[in-house]
Amino acid sequence: MTSGFKHTLMEIMDGSPNHVASRWVELAITIVVLVNCSAVILDSVPEIHAAYKDFFHELEFWSVMFFTTEYIARVWSLGAKFAASEGGSWKGRRQYILSPFGLVDFFATMPYYMHIFFPYLDLRILRVLRLLRILKLSKYNTALQDLFQAVYSERQAFGSAVFLLTIATVVSASLMHFAEGHEQPEFFGTIPHSIYWAIITITSGYGNVEPVTKAGEAIALITGFLGVCMAAIMTGIVASAFSNQVARKKAAFEAQIREIFSDGVVSEEEKETLKRLQAHYRLSDVQVEAMLQRAQNKTVMKG
Amino acid sequence: MTSIQRMRRRAYEIMDGAVPDKYSHFVEVFVALLVVANVIGIILESVPEIHEAYEAYFHAFDLFSVAVFSVEFVTRVWSYGEKYLHDEDGSEWKGRKEYLFSFYGIIDFISTVPFYLQLILPGADLRVLRMFRLLRIFKLSRYNSAFDDMVAAVKAERDSFSSAVFLLFISCLLFSSLIYIIEGHEQPEIFPSIPAAMHWFVITIVAGWGNVDPVTFVGTILVIFTQILSIALAAILTGVVSTAYTAQVERRQAMYEMEVRAVLADGVVTEEELAKLKIMQAKLGMTDDQVSAIAAQIEEEKKVSESGNS
Repeated sequence: MTSGFKHTLMEIMDGSPNHVASRWVELAITIVVLVNCSAVILDSVPEIHAAYKDFFHELEFWSVMFFTTEYIARVWSLGAKFAASEGGSWKGRRQYILSPFGLVDFFATMPYYMHIFFPYLDLRILRVLRLLRILKLSKYNTALQDLFQAVYSERQAFGSAVFLLTIATVVSASLMHFAEGHEQPEFFGTIPHSIYWAIITITSGYGNVEPVTKAGEAIALITGFLGVCMAAIMTGIVASAFSNQVARKKAAFEAQIREIFSDGVVSEEEKETLKRLQAHYRLSDVQVEAMLQRAQNKTVMKG
Repeated sequence: MTSIQRMRRRAYEIMDGAVPDKYSHFVEVFVALLVVANVIGIILESVPEIHEAYEAYFHAFDLFSVAVFSVEFVTRVWSYGEKYLHDEDGSEWKGRKEYLFSFYGIIDFISTVPFYLQLILPGADLRVLRMFRLLRIFKLSRYNSAFDDMVAAVKAERDSFSSAVFLLFISCLLFSSLIYIIEGHEQPEIFPSIPAAMHWFVITIVAGWGNVDPVTFVGTILVIFTQILSIALAAILTGVVSTAYTAQVERRQAMYEMEVRAVLADGVVTEEELAKLKIMQAKLGMTDDQVSAIAAQIEEEKKVSESGNS
């Protein structure tokens, strides 16, 4: 009966709604991750570190044990994902290990063991890798995946915005280098130095260095203004990406409604499907009701 | 129906504003003006010179306001008993309970009652009382849907909001730890610990350049990334809010459309139904153009379906 248990464990780890335990597993992982990140933050304060060093050490040990168990359970149980005919147990495992979540799970846990085997590794790198544990939480945030999807679908617009940003940065940095390079050589002596100033000015509207010449002042003003334009362009792109995504979701939902109404009857099963889709697309009850009414009237028209 | 019951019914209609008539409109305007005058009074009172010169007036005005608001509160509690009285399982206290525990009920209560507390316990801190008085400004939101709209929009898009906040949270943790690890040794007075680096990160994200220049090359790259991230996060939050508002407008239209359909379902439009639609339009803040577009669409559908049936 190992295969049955393996399958159940896979569903639980995957957050399937069929089991109560999957919610508990999710909650436990979330709590351990949050406790861990708070510990890393607090551990960096010298006074706290001096007072609670042993406690943090103990906490780290047990957390690593916890995450190791989680990782092994995931890898082992995902063997049940594909039947032998579909690629065998290692296909599901490979898929998980190489996925972004699998990589995060691995690199957030393994450094502890590396530290045991190679005690002379730089501790700071280990600490950064420990903070990767916060990314484990993104597995449970579906809205975040929506957000990335929205941004990804507008990647061309983003690409051109980044291109504009690059041009604006390079041009204003070079101009500033020529205008103030002699007056303030410590800040504008080389173009790479001025690039840092240009990026600060474009992104925050006010640079880290005050220009001293009239020409420099004019360039700084224009660069600051470009920054406002950049912010507006970025905001516009993201906003339209979001509303496009909402429109896509609504269109998909409406197509489903039409299909359901096409035979004239709405069975209980179809109602369930609609409910599930509504939750999936995150539409409000009023919106769905209005769409349903519209679809109903259209079918009456056709009849 | 006894005369007291009739009076209570009338009081409920006036206070709730569910039926358009000039008395309820008068009560609305009067309460709103009094609230505005109150808020102006509280602001002026905080200027020492004005406070000294007109202390007696302020006191008299506050007495008057508390009297009016107390009458308003008591009338509401008393008359809201009517709300569910004629429903099947309704009782007097159902409507009252709903009011007392609603947002506005709580606001009405805690913006008025502390005054009486002061009479009983004269030693209370005056500044706290003044703070409670400022809550009166929320009474205004009863007459304007903007506040409700905002809350509803945020609620409807809470998933997007929470993911934006989550993103902010993750990037705060990662970036401030990274800058602490990279620059902590070089600038120990600015980045002595991760919490201190988080302070730097929050300032950089919300206000732009955080007044700190990195000294290492990796630190410079990190600061540049943080700066660009601050624009991206602002853009994402703005995008979420603007989508939420657009969706809110659509939701309202859908709500109104359903109401119109319900009214037209029996084929006759009574005076009462027409008045109801008018109130709904005003409450949802829809323009006449939007309304006539919806009406035209429904008419069209009806005509087509009639010709199809015959």
